[in-house]
Amino acid sequence: MPHMHRRTFMAGLAAGLLQGACPLFAAEAPRIVSLDYGLSSTLLSLGVVPAGIADLADWHIWVVEPEMPPSVVDLGAAMQVNFEVLAALKPDLILTTPYLEQLKPKLETVATVLQLDIYAPDGGDILPKAIAATRKLGAAIGRTAEAEDFIGKAEATFDACSARVNRAGPRPLALVNLLDARHARIYSSPGLYDNVLARIGIPNAWTDKSNYWGFDTIGIEDLSKVRDPEARLIIFEPVPPDALPTLAESPLWNTLPFSRPGGYAILPGALMFGMVNEAVRFAGLVTDYLETVS
Amino acid sequence: MTIRSSFGPAMVTALSSVAALLVAWLLTRADMSSAGGGYDIGHMVLLYSTLPRMATALICGAALALSGALFQQVLRNPLASPTTLGISSGANLALVLAMLYMPGLLGFGRDLVALVGSAVAAGLVFLLGARRGFSPFALVMAGLVISLWCGALAAVLTLLNERYLVSLFIWGSGSLSQQSWVIPLSLLPKVGVIALLAALLVRPLTLIELGEAGATALGLRIGTLRFAAVLLAVALAAFVTSAVGVIGFIGLVAPTIARLSGARRPVEILVWSTLIGASLLFLTDVSVMYLAGAMSDFLPTGAVTAVFGSPLLLLLLPRLKSRHRPAESGVRQAQRRSRPRTIIVVAAAMTLLIAGAALVVGRLPGGDWALLSHDLFSTLGGLRLPRIAAAFLAGVMLAVAGVILQRLTGNEMASPEVLGIGAGATLGVAAGLFVVMEPSVGLQLALASAGALTVLAAIFLITLRSGLAPERVLLGGIALSAMVDAIVGVLGATGDPRAMFLLRWMSGSTYAVEVPTVWVVTLCAVLLLTAALVFHRWLDLLPLGPAAASSLGVSLPTARLTLLAIAGLLSAAGTLCVGPLSFIGLMAPHAAREIGLKGARATTAGAAIIGGGLMVLADWAGRTIVFPYEIPAGLVSALIGAPFLILLIRRRG
Repeated sequence: MPHMHRRTFMAGLAAGLLQGACPLFAAEAPRIVSLDYGLSSTLLSLGVVPAGIADLADWHIWVVEPEMPPSVVDLGAAMQVNFEVLAALKPDLILTTPYLEQLKPKLETVATVLQLDIYAPDGGDILPKAIAATRKLGAAIGRTAEAEDFIGKAEATFDACSARVNRAGPRPLALVNLLDARHARIYSSPGLYDNVLARIGIPNAWTDKSNYWGFDTIGIEDLSKVRDPEARLIIFEPVPPDALPTLAESPLWNTLPFSRPGGYAILPGALMFGMVNEAVRFAGLVTDYLETVS
Repeated sequence: MTIRSSFGPAMVTALSSVAALLVAWLLTRADMSSAGGGYDIGHMVLLYSTLPRMATALICGAALALSGALFQQVLRNPLASPTTLGISSGANLALVLAMLYMPGLLGFGRDLVALVGSAVAAGLVFLLGARRGFSPFALVMAGLVISLWCGALAAVLTLLNERYLVSLFIWGSGSLSQQSWVIPLSLLPKVGVIALLAALLVRPLTLIELGEAGATALGLRIGTLRFAAVLLAVALAAFVTSAVGVIGFIGLVAPTIARLSGARRPVEILVWSTLIGASLLFLTDVSVMYLAGAMSDFLPTGAVTAVFGSPLLLLLLPRLKSRHRPAESGVRQAQRRSRPRTIIVVAAAMTLLIAGAALVVGRLPGGDWALLSHDLFSTLGGLRLPRIAAAFLAGVMLAVAGVILQRLTGNEMASPEVLGIGAGATLGVAAGLFVVMEPSVGLQLALASAGALTVLAAIFLITLRSGLAPERVLLGGIALSAMVDAIVGVLGATGDPRAMFLLRWMSGSTYAVEVPTVWVVTLCAVLLLTAALVFHRWLDLLPLGPAAASSLGVSLPTARLTLLAIAGLLSAAGTLCVGPLSFIGLMAPHAAREIGLKGARATTAGAAIIGGGLMVLADWAGRTIVFPYEIPAGLVSALIGAPFLILLIRRRG
């Protein structure tokens, strides 16, 4: 292993020297690192394997797919990206988001920084912003065609899901992560989940607006605000171990329409704060679910 | 119970109950009116969420208040309570640890886990308090230090383990929301049994009011009584924490109100505290529900009670009788032969060695350990140096602040971490994050300084008013820290990812330190350390006690104010680099005494070197252990700090 790291490192060093003044358009592929899950998965979809990404250790829990190739180096926590690793990787381009605004000046001392706005305090629907950010990223790394191709495929998937939903009969869905047996995060406008539901023709059963990340923290009893008897509840993994057994004993939970057999389902997670890949994964998960209940 | 002394508490109970019922009526009238035949979700929510939640609030309020009243009676300490003695946060930390590392345990017995956590916290607090003869001041001091420590550790564990989940936060900030009658119905018999047992203690507790000598003469075994009462009080707090999480300060507020409104005898205090506690938490919780409904926002009741309850600590401080005792440690070690110069040179050499190792030993991408090679030095050395320098300087400054505070107050538990300066800095950064949205590193530093200096100014004002009694300043600082903790708890529980940033900052990392910061901090350190050494005569004389010191010509107000200012500024500058909870200011002065240094000048120099060395070591460990992720230096040294403290006390005990 040490040998390999050394070689990777020397290659990076050589690449840095070769590229000189115009690093992004050098003969060799630019070395790109990403500090955001959504941007990391988008890179893979544009055919670029990042040199390193932040929070690689938890990738398999939150993002799941696409799989990260083993060559990718872990940069540590996004909010405290390890500058020693970052500097040693000698990237040409660092991808970041407004969430890491305060790191930007220091990142700029290492390499060119491209900040893409998806989740930002000034709000706005996430899916269109994610698509725009994908285009911008494609243009910045010379992969415009790949970006269009990727977006086109995603739109096609959404269209296909939309048709399948239409056939299966759309039902309102409430989307939550259980925090414990008493609290949940519920996803609504302007979040990614909500945008995808709208895109593929599924009504969001939770109509209250939420924060710019697209979620709200509620008590389980608040789920009673969902009055539509047709509505179904989707609980995304990971689910805390004692949550469902405790809920099963709750008369309130048991009188919620959701608690009836088939009223709720536990689905694998798709990153709720992701971009287009995560939107596609989410669309597939809920469409598959709707087809099973119809 | 006499009618006269019960009139006031009865009025308080009645008033808060009426207010609570009014809010409760506002809250539920829609559901009430619709309560009728057939399926109605509003009716169900009323029956299985709102009503059990109210019942839970009543039971938890009663239990916590009874716990606080028991503590206060048996310890004869008006500031004792599950919050101020660290009992609730001990239970919470145990639950967090179990949830993260042994979730199976929770299935079997949440109560047992909480009880063990509470008992350990209580044991530590009493162990720490024992050396000061269980003086009210020492106990509360130890309790709040443990409380802050447990809270910080629980928060950071949450942070490191649950990226997008905030359930542990909600637990730590105490939410009463319910989906069934399971919790109130299981809590009721447990609390009821303990309340009955507590009733058996009323007579002996009345006897103890006669004074310990009189009570012993009447055949009362005071040790046994203390143990029994503390046991019951700990159990009450643990049950509540295991059921709903940490509900702060009800156990302090309720007995205080009972006494202020006229309850005198132990039986009156116990009974009325319980009733007032129940009605008070009920009122708070329905208000929180009502407000949260209106703002469509999630508010944990526990953190809200703490935000309002902790200022009460400040108001209560003048009621606290503190006994000033000269520090004994210096005297005790006077016989040991020591050559301060040799010791300091050896310590300095070791610190230099640590700093050198921290610079050249590290890990490369992929995780391999490696010595810093020449070609890498230009990139990595430049990244490591400012952090090492900042850690060193922060350690030095906090250590010297600790020496000053401990000598100034004659209290070996004193340290900058508990002065509240760090809390002030945290509030400044919090304000920045949640008002300016995305402050730059520079702005954060400015806001942190502003917060720290505001607290410093407040401390001066309070000190001047209370006749410059240093103990009150320290407790005031702790009360402030508890309030900041509560505010951060509220923010954290709302789940805003920015709260995570604040937590990272509080856990104390040198991550954000840049070269200009190092220069500023160096300047602060040089100026303040010089000042500390100039005034070392005061530091030599003050531990002899106020009378002796003033007879030797020390102007007490001037000396105390000056030293407090120096210690405060040192703490502020140190906190900027390593966060509010490193405990280095507590450890380093003790370590300096342990290796045989005595006298203000030698102790100051020794503590500075040791503090700097320890902080560099903590920073290095934090950077390398879970590479490429990082554990903040402040947290690493805090984790060492608590066991160190216990070790220290056991050796001396």
